Amino acid sequence: MQGFRVASPMEQFEIIPIVDLSLGSIDISLTNSAVWMLIGTGAIIAFFFAATRRAAIIPGRLQSTAEVLYEFVSDLVRDTVGPEGRKFFPYVFTLFVWILVANLFGMIPSLPGLPKAAHTFTTTSHLVVTLALAMVTITIVIVYGFYKNGLGFFKLFAPSGQPFYMYFLLVPIEVVSFLSRPLSLAIRLFANMFAGHIILKLFAGFVVSLIGAGGFLAVVGILPFIGAAAVTALEFLVAFLQAYVFAILTCIYLNDAVHAADH
Amino acid sequence: MATSSDKEDAGKEGPPPLDDFTERLDRMRGEHDPGEEKSGSGSGAAWGRALRASSDLLAGLFVGTVLGLLLDRWLGTSPWLLLVGIGIGFAAGLRNLTRSMK
Repeated sequence: MQGFRVASPMEQFEIIPIVDLSLGSIDISLTNSAVWMLIGTGAIIAFFFAATRRAAIIPGRLQSTAEVLYEFVSDLVRDTVGPEGRKFFPYVFTLFVWILVANLFGMIPSLPGLPKAAHTFTTTSHLVVTLALAMVTITIVIVYGFYKNGLGFFKLFAPSGQPFYMYFLLVPIEVVSFLSRPLSLAIRLFANMFAGHIILKLFAGFVVSLIGAGGFLAVVGILPFIGAAAVTALEFLVAFLQAYVFAILTCIYLNDAVHAADH
Repeated sequence: MATSSDKEDAGKEGPPPLDDFTERLDRMRGEHDPGEEKSGSGSGAAWGRALRASSDLLAGLFVGTVLGLLLDRWLGTSPWLLLVGIGIGFAAGLRNLTRSMK
């Protein structure tokens, strides 16, 4: 029983500096989180490079996958934002693929016995990362909204067709609602990944403890094992779903920026 | 050779000309009805919807509260703007909720 050490479910989220770096007084160490972002980005670049290297009319396996991804996001942008949304396609596509890859790479099991710094790390399970992504989205919405509509962008905060006294209440509500969007976007992705990985580790921890306890309890250990397998499958779905949700909400917000004056 | 027979034998003699392909692609794109299919259902989607609703509500409340708190500190009107902020934040959270559940 002493031989098993069940890792705390929170340990997987620990940020570990790998190369210590600093810029003045700011700590910019290369951490395991940064390393996994680089791995993800590198993998995406390598994948699309390989997929488009020999572009053929009849696509191969890699090219088909890349085309499916392209069409999926392309349809998403066209359906939500309309033809004006074309110019945002590169951004939404990058966002979608990056989040998808970050989520999926977090599902790779760590090899046992490796030092902690070499464990797989889900970058999207940290609020800073998702909040930074959401901030980029909302910055684009605000900048493009003012560029496209000028001051008409403020119409977004005043839904038309209300008696004038309602605006004293409606405008603050709409402003707060607008400001809460990046937060909501960020919390959603972060909470999904965070919660999912904790549940996964909890189930896995139960299996280890129960088998460690031996006897009848070791037989009961099959139940959390089935649970862990089911949650793993669910997590793959969530990984995709959350990348999709982030992309589609980005599109909805961009749609507001494009069509703010029509409100 | 006429162009019409070119199209018919295209399968045997090699890939059809690209112009033809673009034409067919455009035709199929035209038939495609946008906004028809949405994400699937099932327990995964329900779980996603639940987290979505809670994050919408929470974010609105959080932003309203923080704004109220900051304005209070700035104007020295504690605690009144905080209370107003909580109320407006809650309303904004519900507004987010109705918008995303629509």
